[in-house]
Amino acid sequence: MTAETALLAVEDLATFYGRAQILHGIAFTCGAGEVVVLLGRNGAGKSTTMKSLIGLLRPAQGRITFAGTDITGAEPHRIARLGLGYVPEERRVFAGLSVAENLDIGRQAPRPGLAPWTPARLYTLFPNLAAARDRAAGQMSGGEQQMLAIARTLMGNPRLVLLDEPSEGLSPLIVEHMAAAILALKAEGVGIVLAEQNLHFAERLGDRAVVIEKGSAVWAGSLAALAADDAARQRFLAVGVET
Amino acid sequence: MAGTGQILIPLLTGLADAAGLFFVASGLTVIFGVTRVVNFAHGSLTMLGAYCGWSLISRLPPTPLGFALGALATMAILAVIGAGLEIGLLRRVYRAPELFQLLATFGVVLMAQDIVQWLWGVEDLALRRPPWLRAFVTLGGARFPRFDLVVIALFPLVFLLLWLLFTRTRWGRLVRAATEDREMVAALGVDQRLLFTSVFALGAALAGLGGVLMLPDASANLGMDLTTVTDAFVVVVVGGLGSLPGAALASLLIGLLQAFGIMLVPRATLALVFVVMAVVLVLRPNGLLGRPPGRDGGGGEARALVRPAPAVLRRFGLAVLVLAALAPLFLGPYALAVGTEMLIAMLFAASLHFMMGPGGMASFGHAAWFGIGAYASAFAVHLLAAPMPLGLLLAPLAAGATAALFGAFVVRLSGVYLAMLTLAFAQIVWAIAFQWVDLTGGDNGILGVWPARWAAGPRGFYWLALALAVAGTLGLRVILAAPFGHALRGARDSRRRAEAIGLPVTAIQLAAFALSGAQAGLAGGLYAYAKGSVFPTYISLGHSVDALLMVLLGGVATMSGPIVGALAYTGLYDVLLSATSLWRLVLGAAIIVLVLAAPEGIAGGALKLWQRVRPA
Repeated sequence: MTAETALLAVEDLATFYGRAQILHGIAFTCGAGEVVVLLGRNGAGKSTTMKSLIGLLRPAQGRITFAGTDITGAEPHRIARLGLGYVPEERRVFAGLSVAENLDIGRQAPRPGLAPWTPARLYTLFPNLAAARDRAAGQMSGGEQQMLAIARTLMGNPRLVLLDEPSEGLSPLIVEHMAAAILALKAEGVGIVLAEQNLHFAERLGDRAVVIEKGSAVWAGSLAALAADDAARQRFLAVGVET
Repeated sequence: MAGTGQILIPLLTGLADAAGLFFVASGLTVIFGVTRVVNFAHGSLTMLGAYCGWSLISRLPPTPLGFALGALATMAILAVIGAGLEIGLLRRVYRAPELFQLLATFGVVLMAQDIVQWLWGVEDLALRRPPWLRAFVTLGGARFPRFDLVVIALFPLVFLLLWLLFTRTRWGRLVRAATEDREMVAALGVDQRLLFTSVFALGAALAGLGGVLMLPDASANLGMDLTTVTDAFVVVVVGGLGSLPGAALASLLIGLLQAFGIMLVPRATLALVFVVMAVVLVLRPNGLLGRPPGRDGGGGEARALVRPAPAVLRRFGLAVLVLAALAPLFLGPYALAVGTEMLIAMLFAASLHFMMGPGGMASFGHAAWFGIGAYASAFAVHLLAAPMPLGLLLAPLAAGATAALFGAFVVRLSGVYLAMLTLAFAQIVWAIAFQWVDLTGGDNGILGVWPARWAAGPRGFYWLALALAVAGTLGLRVILAAPFGHALRGARDSRRRAEAIGLPVTAIQLAAFALSGAQAGLAGGLYAYAKGSVFPTYISLGHSVDALLMVLLGGVATMSGPIVGALAYTGLYDVLLSATSLWRLVLGAAIIVLVLAAPEGIAGGALKLWQRVRPA
């Protein structure tokens, strides 16, 4: 897939926190219905990449194209309205608002070509939320908050969702649930960029992987190729070489 | 039945006061919740509401309907003004540090004072009161104004309307969500600018309502901006920043407390409110219904380092100092008096900068320590018949000791709550100076605080002030470069990390607070002898604001900032005062321009220019 036809194309992205450069030229693409996994250790720059994409951090250099529009340096709400959804690592649900109110905050107009998400549909996808719809989000468990954070973003009918470590700190049962939901989204034709440290979770869901190390994309290819490339796994992720 | 009246009347008076407080404070708390701007101009919006309301209602038929129409029209006008203020000014400073937003709103306060005076004159404007406004009801044998019953009824009504607005509409849900995490709201596709503008418009309209409803019982006057905003801050802080139910609860508490307090402790009414605020903040640091502050920078932010001044600047400083020391040889008494005031202002600003910049504790009540120093010197002269050196020694000692005592409560808080607690303490000190007439002379002050003969002339006192102010300012600079200064800045940047490496953070901050108070006290003592008198105005909010303006004008991040700021502010003030009657308008505009153009302050801006000219 080329930068011209991909739903999301990131070229040569560099971002600073104050004076410290965090990203040194990240590049990748993601298409509709595709799951691209950003792999890398803690502090490698996965979250910074996602914040740069949604506009919460302003890239110093590079180009981000989404759905045919150059969104480099655009304001977050404009990027979100183009159909780029963002689910932050810390979930950031509105603790004082009920589940139903949280969903309402994420609501955007239906997007042509996508079946619009409604609270009813989301309650089917995440049944735990249905039972808690009038509860304050701050009183829910971590797993439920993660579901709510995803559901809230889906209310904006995104074409592509940035999911920052959705499996982090969740019980195996909830992780299963999360994986099923992500596959359901993929089946709807939604593009997904997934930041993960959990290689097994990533391998189950991902089509392609980009390995990020110290703010640079150091390896890219299919997850099957990564599974076969013991040297790359050993070098970049220090996992998975079972003897 | 007189017994019922004795309870019922203060109860109703308290409720009416509470209602008035709520209308103003609700707007302030909603604005703060969403925009995180501490809007000092909120009192000015209330004042504008009162004046606009006066103009409209005076021209409308003197009927209840006319009054209601005038009030609604005033709210609409204020909503437009509020939106204009947000779009024209505050929108440009949201990314600036909190204190610069504050500085910008101070600029608005100053400009509004002159604009109102220019449009409506200096006279208090009372509403002509038609019979329906003068009417009384008789309750339990006592009379109570009927209009105040309407105000009381409006309290729950307005609260209910706001409550419905915030829970039943999408706009209200967006406001509540943005109050928690405005970045996330933006990432979900919501244009914050519309939200912020509309919130500001609503807050300003509520301030306008509060202003209009003050008209029948009081009048529109030029002093109401600062008194109103002080009261509203107390309510908002006691209730919890950003909490609407908190504002309602705190309004009730404070309104009733004032009404009953005047019966129980008539001589301490002014202090009572602030004592309550201090107690609440000590027991519940986030206010009655407030939440712990949500997501903020987290303390990882890189700040300018404190470095020794470059050689050029040192040589320049030395030259200025020599020039300043020789000034009496070729300056007249008036210029020397101005120079003495500038030096005292410099010491005062440097002491505030010490706790604000390196200490990270912004104070809205720094004049308290200045005032305590001044009064200590005055008492030394009058009660102890002490010579001037002893008076000047007692000033920093008294201020430092009081600061150490109050500081023990203050340093437990942070951010806006800390600033508000310092304001509360300053208001308590002010109230004591104002109301304890037997000791302090009240509003008449204490006169006859003259310097010793050897320093009595303008030259002698100028040299004395120069020696003490320069020694005090440089002393603070030396302390900052010492290990204590490193620890202080470490504690500011990350309290938890500083604690984790074994620094006694609370003790360090307390020491800095007391030291800063002592230096301000020395400035106050010098000022008392320079003027020969002390007055409660030395402790007023306006004087605290002066110090804040000096520090922020100069720049918090640079060591020379407070010096430059104090000289620029006092200089500008003196020049403007003699050049134009609209000096506040010009000063306010200058402040706003500076905030927009040089958010690092004068010294910070100059440093940036310097670095651009000479890349490292």
